Amino acid sequence: MIEFRQVGKTYPGSQSPVVTDLSFEVLEGEICVLVGPSGCGKTTTMRMVNRLIEITEGEILIDGEPNTAMSATRLRRKIGYAIQQIGLFPHRTIADNIGTVPHLLGWNKDRIRDRVDELLELVGLHPGEYRDRYPAELSGGQQQRVGVARALAADPPIMLMDEPFGAVDPITRERLQDEFLRIQEDIKKTIVFVTHDIDEAIKMGNKIAILKQGGILAQYDAPENILSRPDSEFVSSFVGADRVLKRLSLTRVGEMDLEQANGGTAGLPRISGRMTARAALSELLGAGQSSAVVEMDGENRLLTFEAIEALTSGAEQSA
Amino acid sequence: MSDLALLLQDVLEEPQLIDWEWIGENFWEDIVPAFQGHIFLSFVSVAVALVIALPVGVFSARYRKAYPPVTFVTGILYSIPSLALFAILISIPGVAIGPAPVIIALVAYSLLILIRNTVAGLDSVPPETIDAARGMGLTNRQILFRVELPLALPVIVAGIRIATVTIIGIATIGAYINGGGLGQLIFDGISRQFPTMIIAGAVLATVLAIIADLLLLALERYLRPWARARRT
Repeated sequence: MIEFRQVGKTYPGSQSPVVTDLSFEVLEGEICVLVGPSGCGKTTTMRMVNRLIEITEGEILIDGEPNTAMSATRLRRKIGYAIQQIGLFPHRTIADNIGTVPHLLGWNKDRIRDRVDELLELVGLHPGEYRDRYPAELSGGQQQRVGVARALAADPPIMLMDEPFGAVDPITRERLQDEFLRIQEDIKKTIVFVTHDIDEAIKMGNKIAILKQGGILAQYDAPENILSRPDSEFVSSFVGADRVLKRLSLTRVGEMDLEQANGGTAGLPRISGRMTARAALSELLGAGQSSAVVEMDGENRLLTFEAIEALTSGAEQSA
Repeated sequence: MSDLALLLQDVLEEPQLIDWEWIGENFWEDIVPAFQGHIFLSFVSVAVALVIALPVGVFSARYRKAYPPVTFVTGILYSIPSLALFAILISIPGVAIGPAPVIIALVAYSLLILIRNTVAGLDSVPPETIDAARGMGLTNRQILFRVELPLALPVIVAGIRIATVTIIGIATIGAYINGGGLGQLIFDGISRQFPTMIIAGAVLATVLAIIADLLLLALERYLRPWARARRT
């Protein structure tokens, strides 16, 4: 668990703090996304966790211990670090890159080698093919995968990820996000994830911390609540006018409580249960129909406008 | 008339430019030691210059304020005419003529090139690579020796190449203050008005420079296997 306690950062010679009185907790095994416009201090906040930037006020506790209890280098070796520009060592092979922290921790060669192969498998790169290559030989998406593998190398309980899928095209990004969420289900790391993209925040986060200029916490909550109950004008304008649609993208059709279809389904569009409610709505509008058929557990169920609407209304009224 | 003018006149009148017989007779006694002496002067000078330039370059890259004065001083050293520098050095009490002042002068010449390339090499290391290294818990020392210097090395070696070739040329003048080397053949040839010696000295100095250049070029390539790797 990571605990921010009244954390502040003011650079010497500057009047205005870049991070102001920040207090929140990142729970064990959760992804906490820091999001906000540029200059809101989200990267600074993340970098204070492993002391790439030293705080000037308050403290950051990791599992109850202040992060200043040990040397900065020892601390960093226990925290995975992945950044947008990746920063792979161009002069080292993929295996050497991934083995960086295990090597620093003094693991023996066999153990490092096994771990490297395991991680390459995990991120979907064939070890035999990629182990001995240099970073320049890999595509952007492959390099990002290696960057994530390198951050995971010594199996740190905590990971810091600064737009780790930022440097690739949208399609690759989506795939990397999905893959990472799948991996996270198994590895259950405690993750501080920085992005400027609210859609990525909604997709990746168990919790979202929205920051505004000066590193002030505007709202900290689960994605559903951020979308349904924005605390302020700032938050609602940051999440965008389409926040209702964004909420729909949090739910898959297969998770919805739908009524059984009783005949008369001919001519209706059929959609997959894996589709998000948002995509399903788009399908309905596109097909010019008010309902569609979803096959779930061998049964045909009926997806209607009303069912989709029900997803958005409940929470909205209680706001 | 100067020695050189007399010599030119001789050369023009002399039908046989190279006296192969002289070369055969004096090969082991004069030519080989001069060649070895030249390699010694150049090699020692570059080595000593590197020992000074690497730390100064690393320091200048880190503490940017130090860089302009460093380039100013080494720039002045670089721009003093070599003959004048030799003359200044041997006029210092306690400095005897011989190889020592020659090496000092050659070191002074190569500092600017070596320091500049060290700084340029370190500057060429991508900042995100250093950030990633720091974020993973490498110490400053480990970052310097495992990341920055290996990545800067090809640029540093490129500087060593330029410095070496320059030094091999300038070292010939060192014979004027008894520094030895191939310049000895050239100066003796001038004073004896014997073109064979001059040509032998000049050709060997050129050959040495070309060989050194090619060897260092090969080293430069060898040091960046990652750049040879194909991009997919």
